[in-house]
Amino acid sequence: MRLVLAALGCLGLLPAVWKIASALPPFGYPTGPYGPAVNRLGPSLRHVANMISAVNFDFRGLDTLGEELMLVAAVTGAVLLLRGIRGQDLGARPATAGRPLVQRAESTVLISRLLGPVALLFGYYMAMHGMTTPGGGFQGGVALASGLLLLYMGEGYRPWRRLMRSPILAAAEGGGALVFALAGFLPMVEGKAFMENVLPLGTIRDVFSGGLMLIENGGVGLAVAGGFAMLFLEFLEETRALDDEEPG
Amino acid sequence: MSVLPWLVAAWLFAIGIYGILTSRNFVHLIGCLGVCQSSTYVLLLSIGYRWGGVVPVFYDHPVGTPAVDAVVQALVLTDIVVGATVDALLLAMVIQVDRKYRELDPQRLRPLMREGQQ
Amino acid sequence: MSVLLALLLLLAAASGAVVVLTRDPRAQVFAMAANGLVLTLLFFTLQAPDVALSELAVGTAATPLLFLVTLAVVRVNRSRK
Repeated sequence: MRLVLAALGCLGLLPAVWKIASALPPFGYPTGPYGPAVNRLGPSLRHVANMISAVNFDFRGLDTLGEELMLVAAVTGAVLLLRGIRGQDLGARPATAGRPLVQRAESTVLISRLLGPVALLFGYYMAMHGMTTPGGGFQGGVALASGLLLLYMGEGYRPWRRLMRSPILAAAEGGGALVFALAGFLPMVEGKAFMENVLPLGTIRDVFSGGLMLIENGGVGLAVAGGFAMLFLEFLEETRALDDEEPG
Repeated sequence: MSVLPWLVAAWLFAIGIYGILTSRNFVHLIGCLGVCQSSTYVLLLSIGYRWGGVVPVFYDHPVGTPAVDAVVQALVLTDIVVGATVDALLLAMVIQVDRKYRELDPQRLRPLMREGQQ
Repeated sequence: MSVLLALLLLLAAASGAVVVLTRDPRAQVFAMAANGLVLTLLFFTLQAPDVALSELAVGTAATPLLFLVTLAVVRVNRSRK
């Protein structure tokens, strides 16, 4: 019954979809004036090569602040839900007991040990070079968190858990978001506009170009890496046997 | 070719909705939601594409080379990362539901089902 | 170039359909990772390396992992009682 209704609705929408598809500008010939304007003026105004980072951290910085807060809210919600079920608070000692040692193939350990540090380094590189080459805080942060996961696969649960303390990750996540927000509001103290650049812009194609954008980029990188690492940690914690239960 | 990207985006959105309608498992349902989400990425990036345009990163190319739209790319980029954390939030809710009702079939879960009832 | 784009667009449409039509959640995770890879290639071809990098990290690594762990959690919880 529901499917019939849905099919009827789709049939009704089909002409509209076709009309919209043929009314849109043909593929490959964009008509919006905003993108070309950014591409033309961005490099000379902001001294950065990567226009996507410039849009994210400067031209539309306020939107990114909203996205950033959404990310923090979603991570906080997920962590709260999972921790709430387990009845754990933030300062709880990391429980190392109650998890059976999982046998891993030696090749898995080898590959993870080899690639883990490489992934961490690559994530850091990607986050740092956001102003010059493709990359930036968002992608670099996720890559960093994936590198931490490879460490888990290489080293096993206990050493990994000793390394990953929730307070540190939480501080990275919240601190990164705070840095971003402060970078937006501090220029207002001087009487300038929200997120107006107050630092020297540097020279284009230099790693340290972009002024305030660099700080915002770093804040986003920290927040994303911390948030994803915290998500991985909490989800993996869920598979652990409860403390008062025999492992197995 | 000139309408293909729009049709692909519409198809992805429609098939995602179909999956959500007929899903028998919440985890599967969230995967279908991801397909719906990806349709918006295809649509936005296709709107910004320019034949012969270069990447809007002026490191190798001199400033002023015709490039594709950077604004839509910035939109999609942040949404992909934020979308993953929202997925995580939904999955945490799924874990919660499963723990309470031992049931992940949306068609057998009634909104007002009491705890312990099947 | 145009042929490659059309091919990747069609591939994206097909892999999205595979994700939806794979009803077993555990098999679906792998379909999702494949879909993420196709989308990554498509975004690269659409001159969006930034987006492709983030889709690669999120779509083929982070999201499938979260789904896999969720399935494992559900299985562990079911076996407990």
